[in-house]
Amino acid sequence: MLDRERGWSVSFAGCGFLGVYHIGAATCLQEHAPHIIRDARHIYGASAGALAGAVLVGGGSLAEACADVLALAKEARKRNLGPLHPSFNVIKIIRDGLMRNLPENTHQLSSGRLCISLTRVSDGKNTLISNFNSKEEVVQALICSSFVPIYCGLIPPSFRGVRYVDGGISDNLPQYESKNTITVSPFAGECDICPKGNSANFHEMNLTNTSIQLSLGNLYRLTQALFPPEPKVLGEICEQGYSDAFKFLKENGILNDSIYVSLSFTKRNPHEAMQHVGYMKKKNSSENNRVETSKLEVLSNQIKQNSWPLEKSVFESLPPRLRKALQEACKEPNGFYAQFSKLFPIRVISYLMLPYTLPVESAYSAAIRLVNWFPDMPADVRWMQEQFCLIAGTVYSQAKRRLFCTYRKDKYASLRKCQTAPSAVEFHSSYCHLKMPHSSADIETWLWESSQYMDSVLKHVSANPKEQSDSYANFLPNSDESGLEIDFDSSSETSFQTCPELIPEN
Amino acid sequence: MAGAAAVALSLSALPSAAAPPPPAAGCRPAAMAEEETASDGLGWLFSWLPAWCPTSLLHLKEAEDKMLKCITSTYNKRYVYIANGNKIWTLTFSPDLTRKTPLVLLHGFGGGVGMWALNFEELCENRTVHAFDLLGFGRSSRPHFDADAREAENQFVESIEQWRKEMGLEKMILLGHNLGGFLAAAYSLKYPSRVKHLILVEPWGFPERPDNAEHERPIPIWIKALGAILSPFNPLAGLRIAGPFGLSLVQRLRPDFKRKYASMFDDNTVTEYIYHCNVQSPSGETAFKNMTIPYGWAKRPMLQRIPQMDQDIPITVVYGARSCIDGNSGSTIQSLRPNSYVKTIAILGAGHYVYADQPEDFNQRVKDICDSVD
Repeated sequence: MLDRERGWSVSFAGCGFLGVYHIGAATCLQEHAPHIIRDARHIYGASAGALAGAVLVGGGSLAEACADVLALAKEARKRNLGPLHPSFNVIKIIRDGLMRNLPENTHQLSSGRLCISLTRVSDGKNTLISNFNSKEEVVQALICSSFVPIYCGLIPPSFRGVRYVDGGISDNLPQYESKNTITVSPFAGECDICPKGNSANFHEMNLTNTSIQLSLGNLYRLTQALFPPEPKVLGEICEQGYSDAFKFLKENGILNDSIYVSLSFTKRNPHEAMQHVGYMKKKNSSENNRVETSKLEVLSNQIKQNSWPLEKSVFESLPPRLRKALQEACKEPNGFYAQFSKLFPIRVISYLMLPYTLPVESAYSAAIRLVNWFPDMPADVRWMQEQFCLIAGTVYSQAKRRLFCTYRKDKYASLRKCQTAPSAVEFHSSYCHLKMPHSSADIETWLWESSQYMDSVLKHVSANPKEQSDSYANFLPNSDESGLEIDFDSSSETSFQTCPELIPEN
Repeated sequence: MAGAAAVALSLSALPSAAAPPPPAAGCRPAAMAEEETASDGLGWLFSWLPAWCPTSLLHLKEAEDKMLKCITSTYNKRYVYIANGNKIWTLTFSPDLTRKTPLVLLHGFGGGVGMWALNFEELCENRTVHAFDLLGFGRSSRPHFDADAREAENQFVESIEQWRKEMGLEKMILLGHNLGGFLAAAYSLKYPSRVKHLILVEPWGFPERPDNAEHERPIPIWIKALGAILSPFNPLAGLRIAGPFGLSLVQRLRPDFKRKYASMFDDNTVTEYIYHCNVQSPSGETAFKNMTIPYGWAKRPMLQRIPQMDQDIPITVVYGARSCIDGNSGSTIQSLRPNSYVKTIAILGAGHYVYADQPEDFNQRVKDICDSVD
């Protein structure tokens, strides 16, 4: 797997709140095989995967990141509408968390190693960003990569002046096709580190490079990606990431060299080895933070009484910091208000009140967002203007082409009719003879159309003279078919020559 | 909901009513066998209606021709006629190299001979390679299979045996992928004298369904209900229900196939081939469904029967390191056959479709195995 010469990479799939899986897996890699991360050529990531990668490479604390994700999930679940409630500002929470967690020199640590997958708004193509000049740039790229349109907001964030959205839309698992990439995904499927589902189904689907086995478990996971489950369930996912990564290391015979040497005599018995590793780790950790573990013991005793749902053996193998984060997140608030608001009738009433409370809360959160928006406002407004102009321009040119095509057909038909019409027609004014029924409306449209057309032709003249001649040629079908038509076309050509003269006069 | 299900059922049943019944039995010359016989029976009633699914055997033939277009080695293709009027679509590569034991490729569920497009040329370098569409799949006949799992499996195995007789092969190296792996193992159980080496590539249906669904995280009721509603359907019924949108559905859900074969085609040849293979009347697909219990486990798991296999048959299990099918089957087979040759090969960077994900590695490994035979 780990080819020293050709190097290897690690790729984390985008997965929303299931990012805790990455944190679990990354913790395991960091603990048991730190060289996998240290010596990897690149760490790729999209969305939540990029966040995990940034914390891993950029010197952040995984345990803190885990606590942040769980806090975010709790925040999302706090309100009746969950993450869709207007006052839930996921981007701001992520930004604050990253600014707090990542060290000041994070851009130096992650430049050239961390590759963040982004989707460019203008053309929907994927971009991988891997060089950063400041911590703010790292955070901004991560924000762009995590920005799920509509769910997170309407105006996509920009990075170095270009608007980007969630990398998962175009490439959710960068470089997955390479043999030397260790792929990590919380969805059961074809990845190196992923949960092995309780299903032998080989049918799968492939969402922007992430292979997802078609199973009920995965369907559930997909719903959890944006609508987070309880912190307890997220804790289980985190723990699963840890144990899946451990399984991967074991199957491929990559465990931390020092531990591996000391364990060589127990190599044949993986269970023993695991216990031993757990023991070693516990010993290390107890030396490092004895106080913390003693606190933890008290905590875990409490948790035991509350029947902790995680598998105890695996849970205890989790590093103490991560364990603490999980436990604290799973603690139910004990205050009177928290207990009170959990009562069933109160919850029913709060749902019934939603039509009345929602507008007030929406207005409040909208005001807060407006205030927060002020610094970015000019840029965003300019961007929206540009987009609007672009869309309007496209619609307009489409409509014009349609209209113009039908118009050309009309003209063509009228030309045909003109073969039998009196030739005196050509001595009328330059435009009105082109349409046989001389209603004023027609004349108006013709005048407008032709002047617009000429306008666009004139614009292109300087840029592309060939195109100009082409458009002339298109405009004059069958110019050398019959004498009468040549006559006619020459007059229409004069009409073109008069038009450009008309425009400046106007 | 029940109404919708009924509509869906009738829709999925429609193509089977319009499908051509198998032509009369008999050994016709191979040249004539290439032509598709026109449908009769109820076919006249539906044939002039615009089909809901834009497919036909002719479409499939064209798609397959496109798949095989890039292959430069010599091969012949023909129908092999077996009992009950069924015919098996067969490709034979390097037919002149008769000194060595031929390699026979059995494709997986929902596939066909075209899926091996990246492998034929290298595998046939110094031995004959036969590949055929399994009964009920691809361009072979699509007969009615028994609803009983044991009977359906037997029908598959007998069709392979009859095909072997028609081809006049004494011994073969049997390579099966997915469902083909299961059937290859089942065939080797019944006709051990014909198999010189059994290569199981990502075999389906080996382990038993574990009883302890407890350790799985609890799944909400509505997802379980959805699973229960969908379970009576054929695995690919959705593709037929989608009708004219089926092809884009395949392209949308499995863009990876296009990438797997990107070295050979830069258009949608593969997805078209897969689409036309699977959207025909579901015969092998129904048999497969009858052989499974939810979700995807075999009714008659092969690991229970593998100890009864002839000890002299060497087995090699090839699996992709990233696949979601458990690679542990290899070591389990090993422990179940302590006195026999069992080898497990993991191919790095490959998923379930090992032979398309890492064709060079796969071809080299298979060639090595074949060379070890003779």
